[in-house]
Amino acid sequence: MKKIFYAVTTLTFFVTACTKDLEQLPVTDKELSKFLTSEIEVEEYVVSTYASLQVNGLYGLYLPAMGEIPSDNTFDEVPANDGAIYGDLDEFKTIAQNGMIADNWRASYVTIQRSNVVLSRIENVPFRVAATKNARIGEMKFIRALIYFNLVQLYGDVPLTINETKDPNFYFGKGRQPVAEVYNQIIKDLTEAIQVLPATTTQVGRVVKTAAQSLLGKVYLTQKKYADAKIQLDAVVASNTHILLPSVADIFSLTNENNREIIFAVQFASGVNSNTEGSIMYQQFAPTGLISGAKGHNLPTRELYNKYMLTDTRRGNYVALTSGNVPFNNKLKRPTIAPTDGGSDVVVLRFADVLLMQAEVENELGNTIAAQAAINKVRNRAGLANTGATLQPDLATAIELERRLELVGEGYRWLDLLRTGKAIATMNAWFISQGRPITVTPKFLLLPIPQNQIDTDPTIKQNAGYN
Amino acid sequence: MVNQLKLLLLLVSFCCVTQIVQAQQLAQIKGSVLSETGELLKGVSVTTIQVGSKEKLVATTNEKGLFVFSNLKAGSNYNFTFTYVGYQDYSVNNFLVNNGENNSLLVRMKAASSSLSDVVVVGYGTQQKRFVTGSVAKVSGQDIANFSGNNFAQQLSGRAAGIQINESSGQPGSNAQIVIRGIGTLTAGRNPLIVVDGFPLTEGTSFNIINSNDIESIEVLKDPASASIYGSRAANGVILITTKKSKSEKFSVSVDAFTGFQKRADNVKYIDAYDAATYFTEARDWGYVSKNPANRSVTDDRATRIAKGASLRELPLNYLTPYLNKEAGLVNTNWVDEIFRQAPINNINVALSGGNNKTNYYTSFNYFNQEGLLLNNGLKRFSSTIKLNTKLSDKAEFGITLNPSYTSQRFFNTNGGFNEPIGAALAMYPFFKPYNNDGSLAISQQIVANTPEDGALTENPVATLKLIKDNRSFFRLFGNAYMNYTLANGLKYKLTIGGDFGQSFFDFYNPSNIGAYRIPAPKPASASETNASITNYLVEHTLTYSKKVKKHDFNLLAGYSYQKENNFSTAVTGDNIADDNVSNIGGASTFSVNPSRDKWVQLSYLARLQYIFDEKYIASFAYRTDGSSRFGDNNKWGKFPSVTAGWIFSKEAFFPKQSILTFGKVRATWGRSGNNQIGSYGSLAIVTGGNAANNYVWGNSVAAGFSANTTPNPNLSWETNTSYNIGIDLQLFKKVDITAEYYKATTSNLLLNVPIPQQSGYTTALQNIGELQNKGLDIGVAASKINFGSIQWNVNANISFNQNKVLSLAPGQTQIIAGSVANIITKVGSQVAEFYGYEVNGVFKTQEQLNTLPKLPGTLLGDLIVKDINGDGVIDTKDWVPMGAYAPKFTYGFSNTFSYKNFQVTFSLIGVEGRKVFESNFATREESGEGFAMPTKYYFDNRYHPVNNPNGFLGQPNYGNFSAARRAVRASNLFIFDADFLRLRDLQLAYNMPSSIISKSKITNLRVYVGANNLFTITKYRGYNPEATPSSVLSNGQSTSNYPIARSIIVGCNITL
Repeated sequence: MKKIFYAVTTLTFFVTACTKDLEQLPVTDKELSKFLTSEIEVEEYVVSTYASLQVNGLYGLYLPAMGEIPSDNTFDEVPANDGAIYGDLDEFKTIAQNGMIADNWRASYVTIQRSNVVLSRIENVPFRVAATKNARIGEMKFIRALIYFNLVQLYGDVPLTINETKDPNFYFGKGRQPVAEVYNQIIKDLTEAIQVLPATTTQVGRVVKTAAQSLLGKVYLTQKKYADAKIQLDAVVASNTHILLPSVADIFSLTNENNREIIFAVQFASGVNSNTEGSIMYQQFAPTGLISGAKGHNLPTRELYNKYMLTDTRRGNYVALTSGNVPFNNKLKRPTIAPTDGGSDVVVLRFADVLLMQAEVENELGNTIAAQAAINKVRNRAGLANTGATLQPDLATAIELERRLELVGEGYRWLDLLRTGKAIATMNAWFISQGRPITVTPKFLLLPIPQNQIDTDPTIKQNAGYN
Repeated sequence: MVNQLKLLLLLVSFCCVTQIVQAQQLAQIKGSVLSETGELLKGVSVTTIQVGSKEKLVATTNEKGLFVFSNLKAGSNYNFTFTYVGYQDYSVNNFLVNNGENNSLLVRMKAASSSLSDVVVVGYGTQQKRFVTGSVAKVSGQDIANFSGNNFAQQLSGRAAGIQINESSGQPGSNAQIVIRGIGTLTAGRNPLIVVDGFPLTEGTSFNIINSNDIESIEVLKDPASASIYGSRAANGVILITTKKSKSEKFSVSVDAFTGFQKRADNVKYIDAYDAATYFTEARDWGYVSKNPANRSVTDDRATRIAKGASLRELPLNYLTPYLNKEAGLVNTNWVDEIFRQAPINNINVALSGGNNKTNYYTSFNYFNQEGLLLNNGLKRFSSTIKLNTKLSDKAEFGITLNPSYTSQRFFNTNGGFNEPIGAALAMYPFFKPYNNDGSLAISQQIVANTPEDGALTENPVATLKLIKDNRSFFRLFGNAYMNYTLANGLKYKLTIGGDFGQSFFDFYNPSNIGAYRIPAPKPASASETNASITNYLVEHTLTYSKKVKKHDFNLLAGYSYQKENNFSTAVTGDNIADDNVSNIGGASTFSVNPSRDKWVQLSYLARLQYIFDEKYIASFAYRTDGSSRFGDNNKWGKFPSVTAGWIFSKEAFFPKQSILTFGKVRATWGRSGNNQIGSYGSLAIVTGGNAANNYVWGNSVAAGFSANTTPNPNLSWETNTSYNIGIDLQLFKKVDITAEYYKATTSNLLLNVPIPQQSGYTTALQNIGELQNKGLDIGVAASKINFGSIQWNVNANISFNQNKVLSLAPGQTQIIAGSVANIITKVGSQVAEFYGYEVNGVFKTQEQLNTLPKLPGTLLGDLIVKDINGDGVIDTKDWVPMGAYAPKFTYGFSNTFSYKNFQVTFSLIGVEGRKVFESNFATREESGEGFAMPTKYYFDNRYHPVNNPNGFLGQPNYGNFSAARRAVRASNLFIFDADFLRLRDLQLAYNMPSSIISKSKITNLRVYVGANNLFTITKYRGYNPEATPSSVLSNGQSTSNYPIARSIIVGCNITL
C-alpha cells in the first residue's frame, strides 16, 4: 500500500515538474521570432511589405495629394471638408495635429519596419533560386529608399532606422536624424538594389532594376548631383526596357495596366477578394457629383487645364472636364462595382518622368542638344511641336512647364518646386494672381512632425515655426 | 556528648515524624474532560488553586481526556478551572479533596459561542474564526438560499462588506460582475479567482457550472495577505466555494424545490401612438423649417417641400394623419410590452448523503430552469455532484468529487444595437402591430412603410425573437480527487489531482424570411456554428505540519502546484444559403472558418507558517511564487509574500472580564498578489495575414501576405497588488460580532497599451507601467439568536466605502479617453473612468439668445444652452465638467431573520450610493430629440416646442437638420444619471412543520416558504437596469446593454428525510 502510494506520488511529481512548459507559443497564429525561416514565409512578408504601400497613408490616398495640393497644380474644392486635412495644406495653414500627416508618418514607418524585418532575416533563409533571393533583397531596399525619400523631402530630418524592432522602448530618446544621413542611406540602398534587381519580372508590379535606377536618378537630381543623375537616367533609357506609349490614352487605361511606359506602380485591382484590393482615390479626388460620395480633394486647377494647348492630346486625357465644365483628374479610372473600390494603379515612376528628368539634368550640365532631344520626345508624343527654347534658363522653364502638364496628378509638382527652390516665389505669385491673401513663409517648406509623436517622445523636436 | 546525640535523635525523629505526617496528608485527583457529545477532549488546560492560597497548579488532559494532580492537600478545598479553545470555560469550585487516590472529577464542556469557533476556509487550509488575521468574509450556504435562484454571484449580493455584485444583464446565464474592494486594474482582466473545493477555475468561467444548492459556505479573501497564497491570480480577490459533505453516518435525503414567475423590474416608459405622432411630426417639421426659416413653413405640404429642396427626413410621415386627427381605435402597440413576458423559474434539487465510520458520501441531482424575460429566451440546466470520502487506513484518506452539468440556453445578443430585440424595440413605432390580423407575424412592415421618408427601419423584434435561432449548449465536468496521508505525528501529505473539461456548441441561424435593420425581407440568410472545448488539469502536492508545544501552536504548509489549460474553438460561418429548409450551416454553400487555439501553463511553489502563542498572539507569513507561460521571457516568475499579525487583547490578564465586550482582536496585514489576466500570448509578436491589410495583387491576382502587428515584450508580466489592511474584531455580549477594516491597496505594473515612437513600426506596445490606488473601509455587524420574548432575531449588516485614484500612467501620459462619445476619461490624479460633459442650462428659445449667449458651432433654435464654464466666450471641450463615475461612494446590505415558533421571516435590503451611469442609448436615441427613435415619456413631457410645450427644457425635436451642436451635447449632464438605488433584494416567509405532525412519517424536517426577489427598487434611474455597465474598466458605467433584471415571486419547500 505504502509502496503504491510513493510510486504514484513520485510519478505525478516528475510528470508535472516541467519548466519548459512555461514557454507557450500560439497555435493558430505565427510568432515573429519563429517566422521567416523558410522561403515561403519570406515571400509572404515581402508581399505584406508591398501591401503596406496600398494604405491611405501612402499611395492609397494621401501621398500623391501631399506632393501636389500645396502647389499651383491642384486644389481642394471644399477646404473645410474632412476636418480640413487637405484644405490646410492647400491654404498653407497646416497644423501639427493634421490627420493626413499623422497617417502618412505612421504608414511610412510601418513599411520601413516590414522591409527591415525581411532584410535582417533573409540572409539565413535558403532560397531555391539565388536570383530570387537577391531580387527580394533589392525590392525591399528599393521600397525602403522610396519611403525615406518621400519622408525626407516632406519633413526634413526624420528618424532613421534599418533594424528589426526587438525592444519597443529602444526608440525613446533617439530623436530625428539629419537629412544628409538619411540621403546616404537612401543612396546606399538604391545602389545595392540596382546591383541585384533583375531587368524584368514575370510578376507584374514587382520592382525591377530600372525602377531603382530611375529613383536614384531622381534622388541625385534632388540633391543637384547632376553628373550622378545622368548616369542613372541614361542607363534607364539605354536599357530599352521602357518606351513612351504612342497614345497617351493608353498609359492609364485599365486594360493596359503595367505597360512599357510604367516603371513602378503600386497595384490596385477592382472587384477582387471581396472588394478589398481597390483604392478609394478616385472617389475622394473626384469633383462633387461625378460619383457617389465624391469629395473634391486634389482637383486640377482650371489654370493648369488652360495651359494645355488645344492640340495637346493630353488635354482631355490627363485632365478632362465634367459635364459641368469642372476639370478633373482623368488618369484615375471610374470604378464600376463600388465607388471605394477603384482599380487604377497609382503610378510612382514612369518613362516620361525619366525623360523629363534627363532633359533637366542635361540642361543643367550645359548639354542643350541632349536636353532638347529628351523634352521633345515627350512633347512629340503629346502631339506638340519641338520646343522653341534654346537658352538654358528658357529651357529650364519649358521643362518645368512640361513636367506640370505631363505629370499632373502624380504627386510631383510640389516636390519639384521644393527641389528647385522656387516654392515660395511661385506660390506667393499664384495666390496674388488668384486674389487670395495667403503668404507662404519658409516654415511651410517642411510639413510639421505629427503632434502625437512629439507627445510620445519629446526628444523629437518640431520643425521650426510649428508650435 | 550524650546531650548532643539526644539532640540529633530528636531532630531526626522530628523530621521523620513530619515526613510521615506529610505523607499521610497527600492526595491525588484524576479526572476526565469530555465534550457535550461524549468526545474525549485532549489538550484541555486544567488549573487548580487551593482555596485561600495563591499557589496554582496546571495540568493538561492527554489523548484520553485524562488529567492528574498528585500533590494536593487532603482535606482541603480546591477550585478547578477548565479552559479549551472553542469551548466555554468551566469551573468547579470548593471541591473537597479527600485523602488518597480516589478523587475523581468528570467534566463535560460546552462548545463556545458558535461564531468565534466557526471554521473558516482560508485557502489550502482552515482556521478558527477567532484566529483569522487576514480579511476574510464568510457567507453560509443557508444565507444565500434566501435569494431563490441558482447563481451564487446573484445570491452573494449585499451579504458581506467589501463585495459588490453588479448584475449588468438580466439574461439567464449571464455572469454578474464581482468587484472586491474596488477597481484594481485598467485593461487587464478584472475577475476574482473562483476556487471550488480547492480547484481554481479559469477566469471567465460561467457561474452556471456551480449548483448553489451544493454550497456549504463561501469565503471571500479580500486582502492580498489572505489571498497571496494564490499568488498571481489573486489581485482581484479570491472566492472560495466549499461544497456540502455528508454530516453524519445516517442516510439522509434532502429535497429543495421552488417554482415561481418573474417580471420586469424597471422603469422604462415610452409614449403611445398619439403622442408619438405628434413627436415625429414636430421633428420633421422643425428639421424642414430650420434649414431656411425665411422661405419655409410648417404648413407646406409634401409636394411643396420637395420642390423647395427638402431631404427625405424633412417630409411628413404619410401615415400619421389619422393619429394627428386623434381618431379613436387606431393601432397603438407598446413594443416593450410585446417583447417581454412573465417568465417561469423552477428548481428542484435532491441530495443524498450518508456513510459509515470509514466512508461517507454526498450526491445531489439538480434541475434548474429559468426562462428569460425576453420571449423565447432562457436556460435549462441539469447538474449533479458526486462526492465520496473514505478512510483507507488510520493514516490514509481518499476522496473524490465530480461535478458534471449540462446547460442548454436560448440566447439573444443584447448590445443595444438595432438588430437585437431590445435595441430594436426602442425604434419600433407604435403604429405597427407585431402580428397580422390572421395571426401570422408581421414582417418588415415598418421598414417598408418608413422607407419613403427615411424613418427608423427596424424589423419586428417579436419576429426576431421567434424566428432567429441562437442555441447554445454547454457540457462541463470538473472536480478533483485527493489522497491524504499522515506521515508522522502532525505531518500530513496531500496529493490533489483536479480537472475541468468542457465542451460547448453554438448553433446560430438567421433565416431569409425576416428582415434586419435597414434590410427588408427577404434577405440573404446567415448561419454559423461554433465548437469549443476546454481541458484544464491541476496537480498539487502539499505537506502540512501542525504542532502544539506548551503555549506555542505552529502550523506549517509547503506545496507545489501545476496547472495547464488547453482551449480549442472552431467557428464556421456559412453564406450563400439557398433557402430556409435547413436551418443551420448545412444549408450554406460557401464557408469561412475562424479557428483558435490557446494554451497556458502555470507552475507554483507555496509556503505558509501560522504561529499562535498562548492563543493570544497570532502571526503568519506566506509566500507563493508562480511561473506562468503568459509572462515574458525576462519575467517568468512572480513572487508574492505576505505577513499578518494579530492580538486577541480580550484574553489578556489586564482585560476586565465582563459580559459586554467578550472578545476583542486587532489585526494588521501586508501582502502582495498578482493579476495574470493579460492574455496567453501578450509578450509575443504575433504574425497575422491573409487579409486585406497584408495581401497584394500582382496585376489582378491576389497574393497572401503576413506580417507582425504587435511588438514583442520580453518584460511583460503580471499586475501587482500590494496592500495593507488593519482591522478590529469585537464581540459584544457573546452574540454580536463587529468587524471594521481599513485598507489601502496599490496596483502597480498596470497593463497598458503605451504609445511608442512610430519609427519602431508600431504605434503602441503592451507594457506594465502605471499605478492605481484603492482605499476603503469595510464595516460589518452580525448578531445571532437575539431574543425578544419568543421572537428570535438574526441580523447581518454591512457597509463598505471605497475610493480609487490613478497614481500614474505611461511616462508623459496624463489621461486615457474612452466611451462612445469620448467622454469617459481616466486621468492621473483622479478616479478611474470619470464622466465628463457639458452643463446644459436650458434651451435656445429666441433668436436673441442665439445672438448673445456663447454656443457650440452650428447651434440652431431649439438646441441646448451650454454653460460657458471657463468664461472664455467659446463653448468647447474646455467647458467639460467632471460628473462622477460608476464606482459608488459606498454600498450596504442589511439582512434579517425573525423566527417565532415555527414561523420565520427573512428579508434583505441592498443599496448603492454615489453611482452615476452614462446612458448612451438615451443620449443618442430615446432622449436626444433626433426624431428617429421612440422617445421616453420623460423626454416627451419635457421637450421644448414653441407651440405644444413652450415651457419645456429639453431640446426641440429635429430630424432632418439635427445639428453638430446637438450631437456634441450627448456628452452632458442630461445623460449622466444618478444610478443609486435601495432594493428589497429578497423576502421570505417560511413555516416549519411542527415535529408533532411529521414525526409519524420518515420526514425529519419540512419547511415551506413563499418568497420574492427584487420586490421593489427605489431609484431615480429611468433606464432598464441601474447596474448596467460594460466589462471594460475604462468605459465603466456606459450603459448600452439593456436586459432588465427580474422581480420574482417564488413558492418552495425543503424536505429532509
